Amino acid sequence: MAEQAASLRFIDATERGLTRLRAVHPLAPWLVAFLLLAPLPWVLLNTYHVFLANFICVMILLSVGLNIVKGFCGQVTVGHVGLYAIGAYTAAVMSVNFGMTFWMSLPIAVMVTLLAGAVVGIPSFRLEGAYLALVTLGLGESVRIFISATEYLGATNGFSGIPAPRIGDFRFDTYQKYYYLVMPVMLLGVFFSFRILRSRLGRGFMAVREDPVAAAAAGVNVRGHKMIAFLISAGYAGFAGALYAHMIPGYLNPRNFTVIEMVTLLLMVVLGGLGHIWGGVIGAIIVTIVYDITKDYYHYSLLLFGSVIVLTVLFMPKGIGGIIDRFIATRRFIAIREGRATRPGSDDAA
Amino acid sequence: MNAVRKKEWLCPRNVVAGLAAGAMLAVAGAASAGVIKIGASLRMKTETGEKYGQMVVDELSAINAAGGVNGHTIEIKLLNDECKSDIGVANATKYAYQDNVHLFVGSTCSSVSLPIVDVIHKAGVPMLIPHSTNYKITLKGSPWVFRVPISSRFSAAAAAKYTAENIGTKIAYIWASDAASQADAQKFYEYIRNFHGEGPLYAEQFQEGELDLRPHLLKIKALQPEALMISAQSQDFARGLVQSYEVGIPPSVKRIGGSAASNRPAPILAGDAIKGVFFHAAFSYVDPDPNAQAFVKMTTERYGVPTPDHDFSQAWDLVQIAKRALERANLTLSDDSLAADRAAIRDALATIQGYKTLGGGVVDFCADATPECRDGNKTPVLIEYTKGGEDYELRVIGKTTFGADFGLDGMQEEAAALRKSLDN
Amino acid sequence: MLLRTENLSKHFGGLRAVDGIDFELEEGEVRGLIGPNGSGKSTFFNLVSGIYRPDEGSRIRIGGQDTTHFEPHRIAALGVARTFQLLRVFSEMTVLENLLVGHHLHVAYGPVAAVLGTRRMRNEERRVREEMMELLAFIGLADFAAMLASELSVGQRRLLALGRAMAMRPRLLMLDEPAAGLSPVNVDNLLRIIVGLKERYGLTVIIVEHILRVVMDTCEKVTVLDHGQKIAEGTPDEVKTDHAVIEAYLGREMEDDEVRRVLQG
Repeated sequence: MAEQAASLRFIDATERGLTRLRAVHPLAPWLVAFLLLAPLPWVLLNTYHVFLANFICVMILLSVGLNIVKGFCGQVTVGHVGLYAIGAYTAAVMSVNFGMTFWMSLPIAVMVTLLAGAVVGIPSFRLEGAYLALVTLGLGESVRIFISATEYLGATNGFSGIPAPRIGDFRFDTYQKYYYLVMPVMLLGVFFSFRILRSRLGRGFMAVREDPVAAAAAGVNVRGHKMIAFLISAGYAGFAGALYAHMIPGYLNPRNFTVIEMVTLLLMVVLGGLGHIWGGVIGAIIVTIVYDITKDYYHYSLLLFGSVIVLTVLFMPKGIGGIIDRFIATRRFIAIREGRATRPGSDDAA
Repeated sequence: MNAVRKKEWLCPRNVVAGLAAGAMLAVAGAASAGVIKIGASLRMKTETGEKYGQMVVDELSAINAAGGVNGHTIEIKLLNDECKSDIGVANATKYAYQDNVHLFVGSTCSSVSLPIVDVIHKAGVPMLIPHSTNYKITLKGSPWVFRVPISSRFSAAAAAKYTAENIGTKIAYIWASDAASQADAQKFYEYIRNFHGEGPLYAEQFQEGELDLRPHLLKIKALQPEALMISAQSQDFARGLVQSYEVGIPPSVKRIGGSAASNRPAPILAGDAIKGVFFHAAFSYVDPDPNAQAFVKMTTERYGVPTPDHDFSQAWDLVQIAKRALERANLTLSDDSLAADRAAIRDALATIQGYKTLGGGVVDFCADATPECRDGNKTPVLIEYTKGGEDYELRVIGKTTFGADFGLDGMQEEAAALRKSLDN
Repeated sequence: MLLRTENLSKHFGGLRAVDGIDFELEEGEVRGLIGPNGSGKSTFFNLVSGIYRPDEGSRIRIGGQDTTHFEPHRIAALGVARTFQLLRVFSEMTVLENLLVGHHLHVAYGPVAAVLGTRRMRNEERRVREEMMELLAFIGLADFAAMLASELSVGQRRLLALGRAMAMRPRLLMLDEPAAGLSPVNVDNLLRIIVGLKERYGLTVIIVEHILRVVMDTCEKVTVLDHGQKIAEGTPDEVKTDHAVIEAYLGREMEDDEVRRVLQG
């Protein structure tokens, strides 16, 4: 009982705090988040943890993007890793073979990935579920196979020597410095997803996921929304890819963009919560950290990951995000019954 | 209930025991400063991968059991990188910054070792490479990198060098249209031309999967070459071999294959036509050398592997080299001597000279951060089929040693570019 | 003339689900659409709302515009709202969100404004939420606003489906068996709401219904379909005594005893 009351107080306090922050300025919570994240490299124990933090940021971008198209718009795509590869290799080619700076290679990588995202999105007009999954899987895999067979892209030897980004003489050539590049982009990405998903567009995505026929009858342009969802997720993959390519050691290999990586990415989204606004973030953090901790038990890693997916789907279909929501709702319900709290307000646009 | 237990726990006997345990821990903590930490990142998924990983651990445990290295014990940790560069890079970063290893061992795959060079170069950790052969790894020019296996710059020309020195230079070539087969044939005749001044007797390309190679082979027969190279993937290669006998090219003409000749389907498809065809490796389990046979006996008995490949033997060589270097290094192994200890191990590795590998090669390292100094083994072994079919048999026909600077001509530009990206 | 179809046809393989229907609907009318199972009522709805593509030679005009080849969301944009026999509420969205999706076309800001969080966007979002809460209050679901649609009872979901259609601020409301599966009390309640909506917003309504009381009590005019063809049209009383209608319902095995009772009595 005491614990319940305490957790409820915590929930309420958090919510009151957020509401107050938003009252100051709608962007205030994001500024606080940035200020909290900014000193991370100085708090973490060692450089390896900073490396992990950078990697988590890239993964968050990827899984938040995937959650938009899969969790919110309900399009079963298994080609996301292919888009990530396109983003990474485009950035690599632009900076190494064409001598562009990161600030040029990044937007070009994003644009090329957007184009590829449109190609992946077109089959979703006609196909659903497993069929769409198969087609997108084929597209994603063909990207990897194309890279493996293309000498210009380093083929199976990999593409090396991608330079660290720089501003003037300042180079993002350590994990600590790179953090200040990748963390703000990640935060912007999460911010962007919050704004989009809690708007008219996000509701359209969810309606398409829930029932495309009813959504269309309600005036939602189903094809348009599917395409926009694919484009947004591709944009995320493009950013993630370019940031990954330019991160130390500036090396890409088609082996890092296989179905296994796709499964890991799906695990992040499913575990975090498909269609939950925090799903991609929670999943990317937990999966990357758990993967790191269990590194020593490599014999069992695939077994572990496989069983986590199965158990998640069976016992918590809405992932950790869903469980948190349920926890909060239950605490509130108990409180309301005991007359200790007021009714929950309807959620507002962040 | 809790209170009672707490009181019991505080009785004098327990306090004494606790203090003793604490003191022991403190002693153990002091002793652990004398631990040499080695981190390995290998492809552990395959069965043999796990077994040679286990062998590395066992060998090091044996060193510890025998009193360690200069009184220090060795602690090794193995991580699997699945031959994926992102995982390998994460492993190396973890070893370098979190586990604070003194020596990094890895990786199995060139595509993983390549980016790891950048990581360990930045972190300043000596890297001892067990299997990766890509020539770029040492061409990057990091002073921290040492390679045990044979660099691809040697192996590409091994068969050509052996042929020229032991068989002859009048050679006819046919090759399939795929990139690898084409490249194998090209490297071969370029070597013969550059080092022996002899052009190809016959050189023609055929389409992959082409069924009838006899028109080519009949012309070649008329030219009476000393050797015939058929560079193609297993199936085409086997067909070409069989047809070379059908058109009556005499058995005295040595048949040579490309890199696909060592693939298992080749002897099975070609049957006895493969007799006499040879390929190169760093080690062969059929090597009659007593050291090699002792090793095969050991792997058979301890790990149930009667046919260890060169990945296996090189893992063993690596442990011996590491042991020698650690013996020579002057290590402090205190909390703040990490950088100095790492540098000492690097410098000790650079003094390794004349280590004789199980395959019969010699590993020499030196101080310069160049491929000449850091590609340890320069002696590929040549292995010949003595019987085809399902139960094919092999024998070692010879070894060929390259000069340290072989294959580096015209690579200055590439080396400069790689070195530049290393500093990035 | 709000809705007019000419020679509207749809076949699935050899089955002519809708076969050359000419249909006219005046502004402000409440029309009943009845017929035995499989007579083409739902197919007619799906054609008009753009979910099915009509066969060659069909014409659909809504408010004077040719919508024969329009996609569903463009027809919705002309002010046509519909409900579904199987409800098709958005289960994993809240009750309020269901209505907000219904209001989709009237939410006046774009994605860029959403990302920037402009004042206009925030005001607009506040406005639509308030309006939708009012609508929820009108259909009696305000207390459930934050609940998932899947947590509602069947009757409440029916109301929600109706509410979502109303959130579209339609000119033409097409109700596909709105009373199916409801208890008599709830049917009365629903009828009150439909009549209330019609009077409040001046809607034009088409109701497909099996429970004939609903059609007979609320509609001024009834159209009867059988085998995809229009077999009768007129006031409820006229239709009740029409020979072709009686034959259509009685000339075959019927599951719907009520229809038989009404027609005979």
